[in-house]
Amino acid sequence: MLVGKPLGTIGGVIVLVMLAAAVLADWIAPYGYAQTSLRSRFISMSTAHWLGTDELGRDLLTRLIYGARISLYVGFGAIAIGSVLATLIGIVSGYLGGRFDLLVQRGVDAWMAFPPLLLLLSIMSLLGPSVWNITIVLGVAFGIQNSRVVRGVALLVKEHTFVESARALGAGHVRTTLTHILPNVMPTIIVVATTGLSTVILTEASLSFLGLGVPPPYPTWGGMLSLAGLDHMYRAPWLAIWPAVALSLAVFGFNMLGDALRDLLDPRLKGG
Amino acid sequence: MKRYLLRRLALAIPTLFLVSVLVFALMRLMPGDVATRMVEGHAYAPTLAALRHDLGLDRPVHAQYLDWIGGIVTRGDFGRSYWTRQPILDEFMRRFPVTIELAFLTIVVSVVLGVLVGIVSAVRQDSVSDYVGRILAILALSVPYFGLAVLVVVLPSIWFKWTPVWSYVPFTTDPLENLKIMLVPAFVFGVTRAGPVMRIMRSALLDVLRQDYIRTAWSKGLAERPIILRHALKNAMIPVISLIGLQMPLYIGGSVIIESIFRLPGVGLFFFEALTRLDYPVVQSVNLIIAALVVGLNLLIDISYAFLDPRIRY
Repeated sequence: MLVGKPLGTIGGVIVLVMLAAAVLADWIAPYGYAQTSLRSRFISMSTAHWLGTDELGRDLLTRLIYGARISLYVGFGAIAIGSVLATLIGIVSGYLGGRFDLLVQRGVDAWMAFPPLLLLLSIMSLLGPSVWNITIVLGVAFGIQNSRVVRGVALLVKEHTFVESARALGAGHVRTTLTHILPNVMPTIIVVATTGLSTVILTEASLSFLGLGVPPPYPTWGGMLSLAGLDHMYRAPWLAIWPAVALSLAVFGFNMLGDALRDLLDPRLKGG
Repeated sequence: MKRYLLRRLALAIPTLFLVSVLVFALMRLMPGDVATRMVEGHAYAPTLAALRHDLGLDRPVHAQYLDWIGGIVTRGDFGRSYWTRQPILDEFMRRFPVTIELAFLTIVVSVVLGVLVGIVSAVRQDSVSDYVGRILAILALSVPYFGLAVLVVVLPSIWFKWTPVWSYVPFTTDPLENLKIMLVPAFVFGVTRAGPVMRIMRSALLDVLRQDYIRTAWSKGLAERPIILRHALKNAMIPVISLIGLQMPLYIGGSVIIESIFRLPGVGLFFFEALTRLDYPVVQSVNLIIAALVVGLNLLIDISYAFLDPRIRY
């Protein structure tokens, strides 16, 4: 893995650093994430503040470190909710088939007709920004979207003779899906989940950027770049540069790690 | 063929119906009350009850839905904004050209960049330029377009004391001035979307270059240029075109952010401003119109495949 997939390894290292920053934030961050100091506003890079400070004198490095925590929290949370949902919808719809499948799939069609950002923005503006809301909303969106992929695989697995034999031996629908279909769908779900992480993190960032994701004072990379704070960035460009760099690195890391995992786990999904 | 067309059209109608129910239900079932905000913050009416009655919010939900959808189906009336009381469709049509122009220019930028780099990468496979191209594509995929947009707005004004032009000029009044304004946002958005185009282009071209008819072209003594440009590229472009079609919703969704940063008066900004004011009719009608456009576009793409590729039979 280390030799064959250099980019995957770099991605893995970036993800590990991000994980470490998120877990150890309370110990390694030099200041508190909401600790303001009006005497040290807009300080550029210095020994006291490695990456400078923002309009309220909050340390940028500290906020980036805590930002990793929120990004990962929302990212993993949404992916967990979404994977369960995708598995549930996909397997039930694919396994039962018939009219039920047709109905569910038209619902999925309807959902997929919207540009994702428009729908997510609409929902978040009504629910109000909060960490919990955005995690659930992103999770549900991810689940509905990817139920298609799971359903496709479930449809294939269902046709195998071992499923038929299990049924012939008297296994019920629940037992058949849990012990025979689910394990065969699992690799696809893992691949979809890992490759989906960067998209979810990026979507969270774009919602927070517009002020409809994670609310202040929680630091998030998208929120730090925010549209509302654009005026301050003319005075302190590092406020825009570092969150953008952090976000790009994270997306790059998860993309590369996801690609490598996909090639290892499910060569069928290999794309361009 | 005719039967296929009819069946696809028939399938689009229930989808659109579900789309309208979905967006309406979302707007009504969620917490968040526009009437309270309009009365308390802006004194649009003497009392809450009066405003609710005025806006029709005191009527049963299904009646509200029937009003809305009935107006659309029978009169093409998409309702009015709560705040400005202006017809939504008029405002949408006024702003739509801006968003379409932005999407068009973005696609042009991403296709030109992606296809050029993709061709070089595929033709010189495993050379230095291939690696540079592939790394550029990965970088383009990783940089969030709104981050890049913010940097493009902020940094030049600090370093070179140059700011992108803010006041929008319609294409019909002054095409040159309009392009000057639109090119920067389209370039920013297009560069970040060029990554996937490049990757698809590269792998499709590599596939095509290994086929027999290309070997025939080589063996009859054709030069590299006509082989790639005339013979290989035509077939290799098909996946690129389907990618663009698939990504159409992304271009429209992204316009919300790009138009907000660059203050372009398009549908995206219209939508975002309506959102921040909880202007339900605008949010639900714009969502519906755009979803309908996406459904229609997908239909067109599928049908055009059936026409273009004689191997596809239905």
